[in-house]
Amino acid sequence: MKNNNYLLIHLSLLLGCMVSAGAQDLLETLDKEYPTTPQYTSSTFKGTRISIGQSVENRKAGVLQLMALHRSWNLPNAGAQRFVADKWSSRLGFEYAITDRWTTGGGWTTLDDVYDGYLKYNLMRQYQGGWKQPVSVTLFQNISYKGNLRLPDGVSAFDERSAFTSQLLIARKFTPALSLQISPTVISRNQSALAEDPSLHFALGFGARYKLGGHVSLVSEYYYVANPLVSRTTFGAFALGVNWDVRFLLLQFQMTNTRRMVADGFILQTPNNFNTRDGNFVFGINAVFALHLKKN
Amino acid sequence: MHRVRVLIVLLLALTSFNYKPTQYIDRQGQVSFFSYTTAEHIAANNNQVLSIIDISKNEIAISMLMKAFVFKKSLMRTHFNESYLESDLYPKATFKGQIVDFDASIIGHQTRMVKGTLTIKDVAKAFEIKTDIQNTNGKYLITGDFEIAVSDFNIKIPSIVAPNIAKVITTKFRFEYKPHEE
Repeated sequence: MKNNNYLLIHLSLLLGCMVSAGAQDLLETLDKEYPTTPQYTSSTFKGTRISIGQSVENRKAGVLQLMALHRSWNLPNAGAQRFVADKWSSRLGFEYAITDRWTTGGGWTTLDDVYDGYLKYNLMRQYQGGWKQPVSVTLFQNISYKGNLRLPDGVSAFDERSAFTSQLLIARKFTPALSLQISPTVISRNQSALAEDPSLHFALGFGARYKLGGHVSLVSEYYYVANPLVSRTTFGAFALGVNWDVRFLLLQFQMTNTRRMVADGFILQTPNNFNTRDGNFVFGINAVFALHLKKN
Repeated sequence: MHRVRVLIVLLLALTSFNYKPTQYIDRQGQVSFFSYTTAEHIAANNNQVLSIIDISKNEIAISMLMKAFVFKKSLMRTHFNESYLESDLYPKATFKGQIVDFDASIIGHQTRMVKGTLTIKDVAKAFEIKTDIQNTNGKYLITGDFEIAVSDFNIKIPSIVAPNIAKVITTKFRFEYKPHEE
């Protein structure tokens, strides 16, 4: 008898619940209909480079990016009054997204006649909200070839002129405005003729983006090298810049201490610290134009 | 005696399952928008829009994820979400309203006004939209189009791209409702 009463109470409660379920707001009903599968974050960074170095981002399949990178600086004690334009170096390059995850690229730099080619593969994408898949991870493999390197007579091996850079790019979009990246890097190169210089270098890159508005963001990067060149003093590459994008154009302006635009170059061969002295201060612009060769 | 009472309650509970459906849902509704200017035509389509109607109260609700809009050029989708709609902060657009003088029992077409509130980027604005409603054997098809002024919803467009983006965006929708099983 007692059990039956409990059953009655339960049933009437159930009935009450069903009646009230019918009375709920229609928008609340729809909120429950959204699939529970996690959503990927989008646009951790807007460009495929944060400022000087690579970001985790790839373009979507079928997008060809044409890139013109430019750095200019002054000669120390030149006696002339040219505003950060005594010397310059430019890199012309392209990037093509084969799939949403695979990108290939290449370019040529005027300084030291450097040719470079690379592959980027997006291994993992961050899930929106929470820490289930907390970061995006992209692999970057670069080969660079220094055309004007002077080698002793009889030596012109490809090995001596080339450098290989491997990076594991790990980034998280913490808030809609703030993204941070950390990039463990290994560089293998035999370009130094001096035996005291290591042929294998380990470095760690740090990058940040802060969105100031819909089209403008503040970016910064720093590269720490654990075992730098021994034969000459080098410094970690640093950049502080502004990115501006609209439609299919991305402009990246930066103040930096490095004149080089290929990974092994700016990570290992930055001979000066970041300050405003002539010869040390480098002003840079990256202009990136995207063409959609494949449309949805 | 008690058994009879239990039976009555059980029967009541069961009949509440059996009444005719009043809610109809579409989980793959389509919303598309078009921006026509002399410089450029932009179109985007979202075919994962959720919508529900309650024919006992003539109510309608629509909810969609802004990131589900697909454009012809992939970078347009990026900019749409990152620069204009700020979809990380405002992921959804919603509509809630009444279908005026809607008679769910009429088979075939009827043209009715839908009065309600459209919310994009947390900005709510009242709309009156002419719609065509078609009833075929307990399924409802609602279609229509209306215009949205970009400036009404806190969407900032830099002057450099102003010639490429229309001030008024034409929006089309198509929902096919089936009974909503609870």
